[in-house]
This record gives sequence, structure tokens and C-alpha cells, in this order.
Amino acid sequence: MQDVERFRKRAIFQHWWIVACSLLLGLTGLFLFLSWVSPAAWWGWSRLVHRIAAVGFVGIPVIYFLLNPKSTWEWLKEAFTWNTDDLGWLQAAPSYYFGGPEEDMPPQDRSNTGQKLWMLVAIVTGVVFVITGFIMWFFKGSAAPGVLQAMVLIHDIAFIAGGTMLLVHIALAAFHPRMSEAMRSMTTGKATVDYVKSHHGKWYERVTAEK
Amino acid sequence: MSGKAILYDATKCTACRACQVACKNWNELEAEKTVNWGSYENPKDLSTDTWLKIEFREVGSNGDLRWLFTRKACMHCTDAACVKVCPTGALFYRPDGLVSLDKGKCSGCGYCVEFCPFEIPRIDTAIGQVFGRAAKCTACTTPGLNRLDNGYAPACVKTCPTGALEYDDRYKLVSAAKAKVEELKAIGYGNANLYGEDLVGGTHVLYILDDTPEVYGLIPDPKVPATATAWQDVIKPLGYAAVGVVGLGLLLNIMVARARIISKEEK
Amino acid sequence: MTNHWIDIRNSDRILIIGSNAAENHPISFRWITEAMSRGGKLINVDPRFTRTSSKADIYAPMRSGCDITFIGGMIRYILNDMQRLGPAGRTEKYNMTYVTQYTNAALIIDDAFEGASSSNHPGLFSGYTPKNGGGPGRLGGYDKSSWFYADKSTPASDPALVNNTWNTWEDLNPKCVLRLLWENFKVYDEAKVEEVTGCPKDTFLTVAETYAESGKTGRAGTIMYAMGTTQHTYGTQNIRGYAILQLLLANVGIAGGGINALRGTSNVQGSTDMALLWHILPGYLDVPTNTDQSLDDYIARAKKGKDFITPQGLAGDKTASWWWYNDDDPNYKKYIVSLLKAWWGNNATAANDFRFEYLPKVTAGDDYSHIAVFEAAAAGIVKGMMTWGQNPAVGGPDSEGERKALEKLDWLVVTDLFETETAAFWYRDGANHAAIDTEVFLLPAACSYEKQGSISNSGRWAQWRWKALDPIGQAKSDLEIIDELALKLKELYAGEGGVFSEAITNLFWDYREGAAEADPNVAAKEFNGYVWDTGEALTSFGNLKSDGSTCSGNWLYCGMYDADGNNKAKQHDPVDRSLNQIGLYSGWTWCWPINRRIIYNRASVDLDGQPWDEEHPVIQRTNGKWLGDVPDGGWPAINEAEPGSKFLPFIMLREGVGKLWGYGRAEGPVPVAYEPWESPLDKNLVTDVANDKTGRGAPGFNDPCCYVGELDMDGESWNKRGTPEEFPYVGTTYRLTEHWQAGQMTRNLPWLVELQPQPIAELDKDLAASKGIENGDIVEVSVARGAIQAVAIVTDRFQPLIIGGKKVHHIGVPWHWGYTGYSTGISPNGSSGNVLTPHVGDANTTIPEYKTFLCNIRKV
Repeated sequence: MQDVERFRKRAIFQHWWIVACSLLLGLTGLFLFLSWVSPAAWWGWSRLVHRIAAVGFVGIPVIYFLLNPKSTWEWLKEAFTWNTDDLGWLQAAPSYYFGGPEEDMPPQDRSNTGQKLWMLVAIVTGVVFVITGFIMWFFKGSAAPGVLQAMVLIHDIAFIAGGTMLLVHIALAAFHPRMSEAMRSMTTGKATVDYVKSHHGKWYERVTAEK
Repeated sequence: MSGKAILYDATKCTACRACQVACKNWNELEAEKTVNWGSYENPKDLSTDTWLKIEFREVGSNGDLRWLFTRKACMHCTDAACVKVCPTGALFYRPDGLVSLDKGKCSGCGYCVEFCPFEIPRIDTAIGQVFGRAAKCTACTTPGLNRLDNGYAPACVKTCPTGALEYDDRYKLVSAAKAKVEELKAIGYGNANLYGEDLVGGTHVLYILDDTPEVYGLIPDPKVPATATAWQDVIKPLGYAAVGVVGLGLLLNIMVARARIISKEEK
Repeated sequence: MTNHWIDIRNSDRILIIGSNAAENHPISFRWITEAMSRGGKLINVDPRFTRTSSKADIYAPMRSGCDITFIGGMIRYILNDMQRLGPAGRTEKYNMTYVTQYTNAALIIDDAFEGASSSNHPGLFSGYTPKNGGGPGRLGGYDKSSWFYADKSTPASDPALVNNTWNTWEDLNPKCVLRLLWENFKVYDEAKVEEVTGCPKDTFLTVAETYAESGKTGRAGTIMYAMGTTQHTYGTQNIRGYAILQLLLANVGIAGGGINALRGTSNVQGSTDMALLWHILPGYLDVPTNTDQSLDDYIARAKKGKDFITPQGLAGDKTASWWWYNDDDPNYKKYIVSLLKAWWGNNATAANDFRFEYLPKVTAGDDYSHIAVFEAAAAGIVKGMMTWGQNPAVGGPDSEGERKALEKLDWLVVTDLFETETAAFWYRDGANHAAIDTEVFLLPAACSYEKQGSISNSGRWAQWRWKALDPIGQAKSDLEIIDELALKLKELYAGEGGVFSEAITNLFWDYREGAAEADPNVAAKEFNGYVWDTGEALTSFGNLKSDGSTCSGNWLYCGMYDADGNNKAKQHDPVDRSLNQIGLYSGWTWCWPINRRIIYNRASVDLDGQPWDEEHPVIQRTNGKWLGDVPDGGWPAINEAEPGSKFLPFIMLREGVGKLWGYGRAEGPVPVAYEPWESPLDKNLVTDVANDKTGRGAPGFNDPCCYVGELDMDGESWNKRGTPEEFPYVGTTYRLTEHWQAGQMTRNLPWLVELQPQPIAELDKDLAASKGIENGDIVEVSVARGAIQAVAIVTDRFQPLIIGGKKVHHIGVPWHWGYTGYSTGISPNGSSGNVLTPHVGDANTTIPEYKTFLCNIRKV
């Protein structure tokens, strides 16, 4: 079976870098969220890790964008392009993801609607995390208490929203039987032609037509 | 209300600042480098090294000039916003109602600093400050430097030469203070009041004032911030619920999908 | 203090004047606060609104240096009351029995006396001679013979006053003390008080009436004062004013009353008790002079002018005059002989006059006070100096002048905890140390927690302190240093001989008693005194003898030990066992004399020995015994005693009654409102005498006997006098709670420096605006003698005062700063407040006039 390249090496690197940072950020954040794991936060070690990971979380994407402005821009456009086709996905999704017939799902583009939704959430919560986090870090002690209170609250809301969506992403990307090639595509960068045809039909058509 | 309290009688305070020095002495806190900025008051603000200070205010003018002194330190609230938002439990309620702080558990998040309605706790905020932790008056209950559990009054109370500070059962102090407030009113201090009796559930540091709290630089109606309540009592529980529901839902989804797709393949 | 700290809580009216008790004696405020919670009222008089003023019921502003006018006004108010209220009214409002029976109010003064309001000599009393010639010294002196009682040994009293039948002043003998008081004080009505002091009339009258309320029988008023009173060229007369006020109000000897000096340091009472002042020997005995050729000469001279006086026409007819009690074997002799025995031991015998010859003698008429010593150093007369726990480079007046005078010394020994400004004078900014030949030694001293010994507080309580930790490095306690010094001197003199070496070699000096170091307990026992041959401690100065069989380093402290040989300064009975719990705490440590907590307490009872104030009895005569405090003389009450033995209450005085009229002071029997040496006025508004602005002081404008220094060095005077034209503002110096004295200790303690990090200059908003000075700006305060830089505190706590129609501003500067230590001043001279003060002193004590001078200010 032939393979199709889904993700370049650099994209894979960035993905897993973000994963690592997010894991550290999320865990150290969780230490402050759940009281029974809060001893891990004692002495401020987790705060140090959170801040270092935050720098990485912001730094690599910024560098990536500077080195790959065009592809980053394409990716961003993808996340923010929504039309009536997406409604089709929405209608078919319940049956599809619960193991119903594959044919009932309309052809998807490079990223299916669900994946685009995740991209959106990731981007928005990421930005929210960074802005609120930046203010909490660099303006601690100087910004008005009311502002810092709001930042904490919003940071937490983003954590809840992003966190729940992340669970969906991990479940579908790593464990869902229908998304069999998803993990492989983010480790080797490749997926089989059959998979791509069935899961991202629209994209396959466009790319092969260009050829 | 039960528990212990500290009573500060502003009408007896002469702003000698023995309390300020006793606090530093007992809690082994460093002196700050200060300059005279045009007042006897120093340092200018509380900090991780200054947990208690006296503020000086000149009010009125020739003939009715008053020089008022206000104690500034943790109010030891019954409904303490800092305890509410502290993620690690470094800030906690003692059985006697005082709010203590175990620095060893502090994560340096700074939420206590941001949510306290009296703006009391401090944290080292320098950019390079990596392990900066919060600090505030613990009424001398800091682990390892605990006076109260060893039968002693807080250092500030012990040192005060005029008796402006007292430490006793809260209900006794409230009763005595209210009597003093009535005496003050009787001799013409119509705005005399007992500050802290019912604020934020009742504070364990009470002030006898002969004028309004505002004149003494105190916040007249402090409250636990709405953001703290929203955060801890609404959003966090909702968050648990959301994650729980989604998590369960995903589990269900994966199991069902596996069953149906695998059985299909077997077919 | 006549009373003591805790006793303040018994007071109904507390007058804090010349003191900022809340800031400088914080613990005293515990008792003031308690008095106020019991209904007592606090009055505070001060040029500046201080932390004390913030707690007062009444605050009265007053130009610095005008205490006599202010207090004179209060005295006038009372005298006026006494006259206008008539016989019944005055007895209702005041305790006239006390005034007529226990003071010299009714006694008749010499006919030749002329008061200061006499046109013959405005501002001066009869008998004045101005100084001849230049150089440092007093402006003049008095022949005081006309100030004395008309009948020198049995002064008559005015029956109209004693029997309370008088209505107008003319009803009284023109030379009756009370009438002479009226003549002296009548000028100080509320208009004059306002004109001179700047205090608004209404405020002054409120103060006068409120404080006068303490004169009622059963009520008590106390005066708490400190350096604001004493540190003037007429400081002693300021205090005389308080004595007059308190005697008129029957406040002396009672609980909650008295004249209460808040001593400036924790043990200065102890230091004066032990005669760290040049003019006395321990126990306030006279210092011998070069005219005393023998012990008998000395005793005769000490007694001269102290013969018994028996007032006539009073209920009491016997005076104790304690030192001279027992004419043939006076107590005074017992005390001096016991002292000499303590110092020269077996070497002192009756045959050799108990080695009286060995005592150093001062030259009669000369002055050896701080100011005079520095004048002598400047003139090269004093060659060497030991400054012991004292930092004159910061604490002495006219700092630049005194620092310069140190340069003239051959050697200087500084004993202190830190290298002070005095020790570092030779390399201070601006010093040409190549030209300075002084050899400077620095002996490191232990602080009070590092040594054992007693500290005598303002209330005369000698409280023992124990050692908490060892001194650091090479530091030693003062006793160890003195002990080693004395032993070494003895050794050197014994080996090498020298002029008058026997005075040292024959000293009985053994404070170690076999141990490695001197023991303060040995010194304590010697101060207490013991039977020479047996070593048995004496339990009362009544047991001291004049035959050499007893020794005592200080008769006042005799009785500190009990019959079992225990030092009562160490006892700690925390229970108040006094009558009606007036707070005597007689079992808590020990006070002199013989643990009498309130002195002159025989004045606290009526002629039958019953307390004037039943709620606060100090002593009480019951069944032929005295209950309560140690009575000030255990004799029966006046009405109970036999004629000829009716002892009057003021036992240290010749006439046995309190002296409203005090004929012994240098510049007058009663106070007159003189102006400070540097005054903003052209003319004294009370005496009408003009200010000699360019001279060295005008008698009658200034105190006619005050000491004016010169500090002539290298061809110029370092005690220049400023004129109001060049220096229009009234300067004053004071202390802060957070720093202490010359700052050696507190400016080296980071927690205190954090509170008060820099020297300040406080001024009113009006003056600041006119000079473009804002709060927090760096300013320069200058006088004719130098200038300092400080941070400006622009505040409403100073207000411009209208004096004689013109606006007068104050500028206030704490004196704690210097040029060595963790916290130093802003200008290179350390911003020491005393750079500004003049080298002039009080007429009686030569205490420097630190509290008023002329200055100018500008933004830097």
C-alpha cells in the first residue's frame, strides 16, 4: 500500500514539542487546580517549570512561524475557514464516530471539521493562556488586583475548555478505531492512500488533480 | 463568635512602632533599605519582610488637627479570600479562627495577594525571583515560630507599651470594645465604631476607631471578591462536571465504536 | 521624680510640658493611658504637635523658650482665683491649709527686697552685679541677702493668710511670700501669654482652668517634664515655676501628683545619684573646694546658710533639715565620713581627717561643667579627656566648635560600643588630620545586656539587671575597665611615684574579692555600706556613723540591703500591697531613700495625719502608727505631736515647708520670663529690656546669670551669635522614638534605621511655601555656627505663631545623626542637630540651651 505524506518533519517536531510543553503546563497547572495533588506545587518548583514550559510553548511556534510563514499562514487559514460543508460533518458525526457506516460521512478536506474545531480551540485557548499568563507573570504586583483576578479566572476557564477538548483530541487521535492512521501520521508523517481517500477525500482529489 | 482575636485600640496607639520591630524580631525578618519620603512612616508598604506597619495620617488643620495612626496587617478574616483561593492550602484556618500561613506549602502563585480585599499578603515579584513565596502576619503562628500554641500572646501585643493591643477570646474583646465605643460616643466622637465585628464574616483583628474607617484609611466595606466566588464555587465545579461528562462520554464512545467497527471487520 | 512611673495612673490632671512622653518615654504612656481611662485629662504644651499631642485632651502651642510665661500665666490664674474667690471660695476650690501650713506662702521676706518688675532694675532683682571683662562665663551675679526671710532664723508669718481672713492683696503684708508672688506673676495675664508665647487666649485659659481643677482637696495633678524644660539658659527657673504651681495646687507628696522629671536615659538618675556631675559627691553631697583646708572646714562650709529655720505662726514648729539634724553630730558628717571610709578604708582614720586631704578639690567659684570643660579644652587648659559612654561630637552643643576643641587635646580615650563621631573626630570631613596631634584610644564597651548591675530609673527605683550574654570581641563592662585602670594606676604610682600619688596608692580598691574580674555585687554592697570591721550590711542610713566605724559609698543607697544581707534591688514582689492599691509595689526592687516611693508624703495628710485623698492614701496615721508608704519622717502627725516636735513635711529643707519662694537660685527667688540667648525679638515683652543683638547677651532681656561660652580657637569664636535679621526662624532640637541620644546604638541597628532612615527638618506649610520647599525635599538649616542638611517634613504640626504682633516660624531638627555608623547624615558633618545649638548654658546648672536658637532654611 502506498503512503501519502500528511505532515512534514518540522510540523511533527512542533506538534510533539507543543505536546511536551502542554503536558508540563497542564500538569503544573493541575497541581494548582486539584487540591489533592497540590503538594507537588510546594516551594514553587512547579511554578518554575510552568514558566520555563511557557517560554517553550510560545517560543517554538514563534520561531516556526518566522521560518515558515507561508505554511503557518495556510494552517491558520484552514482553522478559520468554515462553510456549509462543515454542517454536513456535524450531522453525520454522531453515527460516524459511534461506528456507523463510513459512507454516510461527506468527504472531508485536509482536516475534517472536528479537527478544525480542535485547531480553533487550541489556537484560541493557547492565545488566551499566553496573554493571561503573561500578565500574571510580568505584572504580578503591579497590575490592579481586579485585573489579576480576572486573568486567573480566564486562564482557568481556558484550562477547562481546552482540557476537555484535549481529551477529545487524544481519544480520537490515539484510541478511536476509525481514526486508525491518525497517530501514525503524526509520528512518521505518513498515512496510507486508502485512509486518505476515505477520511480526507476532498483533499486527496485536490492534491492529485494538481499533479 | 468563638476563637481568639487581636484588638487594636487606635485611640491608645502612639505610633511608637515597637510592634513593627517586635514582629520583625520574632519572625526573623530583614530590615528594608528606606529613605525618608516626607513622613515618619516607613517602610512605605508591606512586603515579604514587613508584615505589620503603622500608617500616619494628619487630618484637619490648625485648631482641630489630628494625627491618626492605623495598624496595617492581616485582618484574619472568618471568610478569608486568601484561604479560598490558595491552591495548596498553605493558607489555612486555625481552630482559633486565625489565618495562618505555612510557607513550606506555598507555590508562589500569588493568588492570595490578588484576591485579598484588604490587599495584605505580599510576594516577591522581581522577574528574577524564582521561588518567591507569599508572606503575611500569621498572628505569630508561623510553624517553628509559633507563640500562640506555646501559651504566649503575639509579639506585637506583648510589646505594645500603652496597651493599645490586646489578645484574648474574641467575644470578650468584642464586648469590651463595644463598651469603649459607647464611651467614645458619649464624649463626642459620634463616628466611633468597632471595625471588623461583622466584616467578611467577622475579622479576628478588631479596631476601636474614634472616627470613620475611611478617615483612618481603612476599606469601609471589604468583601470576598466576586471573582473568587465565581471561580471557586461556580467555575471549578462546572469544570469538574464538564471533564467528567466528556471523559465518560469519550470512554463510552471508544468502547462502542470499537465493538461495532471490529465486529464489522470480522464480518 | 518625687513620685514614680506607675503612680501616674492615679492622676486626675496630667500636664506634659517640655516633654514628648509618648515618643521618648513610651512606657510612661501605659500609665497615662490608664489615668485617662479612669477619667484623667491630658494637657500637652509644645511648640510642635507631637505623638504626645495626638493623644492629649488639650494641646496648646507655645513658642520654644516661653515656659515661664506660660506657667507664670497658670500661676497667675490660680493666685487671682485665690484672691477673688474670698475665704470660703478659695477653700472650696483649693487646699488652703496645705498652702499656708506646708509651704512658705505666709512667711515674710526681707524689707530690702525689690522684685523684677521694679523700675529701678527692669527684669532684675535687688542685688545684681553684671560681669566685668570678656571670655566665657556668666553675664553677672547676685548678692542674695535681700531675698531671704526678714527674720533669718524664725521667720514670721502673715496671720491674715494663715487664718484665711484676707480678701484683697493689700490685706497681706507687702513682703509676704504669696503677695510677692502676685507682684511677680500678675503681668502674665492671658493677653500677655498670647503675646509672648503665641498660644491663643482661649486655649491658654482652658489649660489653666483644667489644670487648676487639680488643686481641689482630693484631686491630683502631675507635671511630667524633660529636656524641653531643662535645656534652656533659665531651665532651672522653668522647673521652679512647676514647683510653685504644684505647691499652690497641693500636688506635692500626694499620689498622682508631684514634679516628675522624665530622665533622659535609663540610668541617668543612677549616674547623678553616684555623682557623675562635677559639683557633687555621691548622694548629692557638696564637692569640696580649695578653700576647705580640713574636714571640719568642709562641713562648716556645707552647713553655712543651712542653719535651721523655724517658721512662726504655723501648726508645725519643727524642721528636720535632715542633713543637719543632730547639731552636734550632723547626719551630713556621718555620710561624708562613711564615704571616705569606703574610699580609703583602713588608711582613713579620725586622726588623719579620714583622708579628706585626698579628695580632689575644685577651685571655689569656677565651673567644671560640660560647656566649661570644652571651653577649657579649646583654651588648651584641659590636655586629656576620657569620654565614657558619651559622644560629645554629636551630643554636645555647638558640635563644630566642640569637635574643633577636641583637636587641641593631647590624648582622648573613648569608651563606647562603636567607633563614635567623637572617636573619629580626627578624620571627619574637613579635618586637617596632619595638623592634629591628639592620640585617640578606643576602648570597646559592653552593652547593658552583656553585664550585670543596677539601673536607677526616674522614679528612683534601683532595679537589678542580669547578664544575658557575653560581650563580643574584646569588649568589657565599664566596671571591668575601671577596675583594671585603677589597679594599673595604683601599680604604676606605687612603682614610679608621682605627684600626690598617695591619694591613689592608698585607695581601698578590691572589687574582685579573689575572683578573676570585678563583681558589681561587691560594689553594690559598698554603696549600701556596712560595718567596717565585721562586713555586716547596714539596713538604713540612720545607722551610719561619723567615727569611721561604718562605710558607705552613697548614703542614699544605704538600706538597699536587708538584715539578711540580700540586695533588695533584686527582689520582685509583683503584688500591689499598698493602701487602696495605689501602685507603690514596695516589694518590687528598691528605691531611695529607704524605699520611700513617694517623697514628701507627709504633705499628703492633714494636720491630724489623715490623707487629703481618701481614695488614694499614701500614708495614714492609725493607732499611733503610720500605714502605707515609708513616711517621710516617722514622727507623729503635727496635731498629735508635742509642742516643739511638730515636724513639718519637707524634711530636706531648712524651714521644713515647701519653697514657693526660693532664695537659693542664681538668677532669682522666683522665675522671670527671659528670652533665649538667640531670640527673634527686639525687646523682651515682659521686662521691656532691649535685645543686644550683636553683643553677648543683655541681662534682663536674657537670663542675667546664664553662662555664655566663647570657644575661642585660632583667632575666632566658635560660638558666634546669630541675629534675627540673618536668622529669622526659631530653631529647636528634639528626639524621635526610633533613635536614641547621639545615635551610636540605634543608627547601627537596621530595624530602627528602617523606621527613621534620615535626618529631618520639620517646618510649617506657610514657611515652606514661602521658600519653595516641598515635603521630602533636601534642605539646609543654618545658624551663625554652621549648617546641616536634612529631609524637609512640611507639616501642619508646626503652625506659625504671632509673637508681639509678628509672625514667628519654628524649624525642628532631631539631634541623633552623625558621620559614623550604618546610618549617617546627609551633609558631611553628619547632619548633627547640635551643629546648630549654641555654647551657652543654664544659670544654675549650665545645661546647654539645646532647645532654642535662631536659624535659617533653604532648599538645596
